[in-house]
Amino acid sequence: MSAQQGRDSGRELRRIVRINEEIKHVVATAAKINLMAMNAIFLAKRAGHSALGFGVLSNELRRFALDLQGQMVRLREATHGSVATVTVFLKRTRQNRIFGRIIRQASTPARAHVEAFLLERQEKGLGREREQLAALERRLTQMIADTAQLVEMGSVLARSAKIEAAYGGAHAAALMQVSSDFERTIGEIRHSLEALIKQQDDGS
Amino acid sequence: MKNARVIYENGNHKWIAIVRDPERPAYLIDTNEYLVISGDEAILLDPGGSEIFPAVFSALSTQFDPRKVGQIFASHQDPDIISSLSLWLEFNPAIKCHVSWLWANFVPHFGGTPDNYLALPDGGAEIVVGGRRLVAIPAHYLHSSGNFHLYDPQAKILYSGDVGAALLPPGEDGLFVEDFDRHIRHAEAFHRRWMGSERAKRDWCYRVGQLDIELLCPQHGAIYRGQDVRRFIDWFAHLEIGLLKL
Repeated sequence: MSAQQGRDSGRELRRIVRINEEIKHVVATAAKINLMAMNAIFLAKRAGHSALGFGVLSNELRRFALDLQGQMVRLREATHGSVATVTVFLKRTRQNRIFGRIIRQASTPARAHVEAFLLERQEKGLGREREQLAALERRLTQMIADTAQLVEMGSVLARSAKIEAAYGGAHAAALMQVSSDFERTIGEIRHSLEALIKQQDDGS
Repeated sequence: MKNARVIYENGNHKWIAIVRDPERPAYLIDTNEYLVISGDEAILLDPGGSEIFPAVFSALSTQFDPRKVGQIFASHQDPDIISSLSLWLEFNPAIKCHVSWLWANFVPHFGGTPDNYLALPDGGAEIVVGGRRLVAIPAHYLHSSGNFHLYDPQAKILYSGDVGAALLPPGEDGLFVEDFDRHIRHAEAFHRRWMGSERAKRDWCYRVGQLDIELLCPQHGAIYRGQDVRRFIDWFAHLEIGLLKL
């Protein structure tokens, strides 16, 4: 592994941190949607028959928030797995830097031993570790794509809630306010998710 | 992964304990790491060995953005204390590490450049994090010959390194000491063997006894709180140490 690859490992770790910070933001926002949905369910109950559709959608939005929280927990676990793998790379970088100094400073036999050792180690371990990291990356990309689909579904639910709010009779204004809040909050999640996708694209 | 538990919170001032990794291999001693957050800055106390770096890093990330960890406090030079430093420096080369002047030329064998180290004088020093003043308290010979603890006067928390440490059996490894008499049995052999100077111990007990402490947080085992802090200091003051009977 070269010094360049070492720098790449440090950068990779920083990229994982940026992904994790976005995940934290989405988790907090999903918790907010969960609370908003519970309030919306109570509001729909108070509004009675005219808000039946709105009530159903609020229930769906609550389920969406819980699904999203679960998905983000899995995503976070995946990033933690990536930290462990990147750490192996970081350690190897440091070791290789030290062995590199031997190659530069030592006499011919010692240099040959170190070169042979590094070659063997590279053949044995590095390919496997790279593959492991690539597999984690693929999993992360897939999970982010799944989350994007889930959030798209949330957006559709929020839009439908807005339509249903119009049929809310005397409670229409209040229901409209709540559904607009849903739409705005899910918009925030979409924004975070776009940042996540960008982080992922930067890494690949 | 380890658990990151908030043990103190007052506005933007927090202490996080990073503890108890269920996946830790048994051949590695269990360690506690602590993160002191003040606003947008943080100092990591004894970040641990390089083997547990992923577990500490991941747990810390659940509570705080690790890019904002600008300082590290190393109570002493042991590998379970500070050997992960080189990995933290790969992640953020600007991190500053506070360590006893005695070890300032030894610890760089783990990694870093002179710019990364701030040597603590024997008498201790103030460490400022996010405008908040923490105090490095001398604890030399307990057990290392150049050893510091870290006191937070506002939170009333003392990070006590190996002092107060206990090697807890499975099932008795809660975060806080619940039954002092039962707990202290797991601390006794450790202190008798690891703490080498009777005089240093008495001096530490006197000085620390003057401080207002709500939580005494060791690097291994459970946290002492409330009355158990005083009980621990009294117990330690009376414990015979520095003896190995062969």
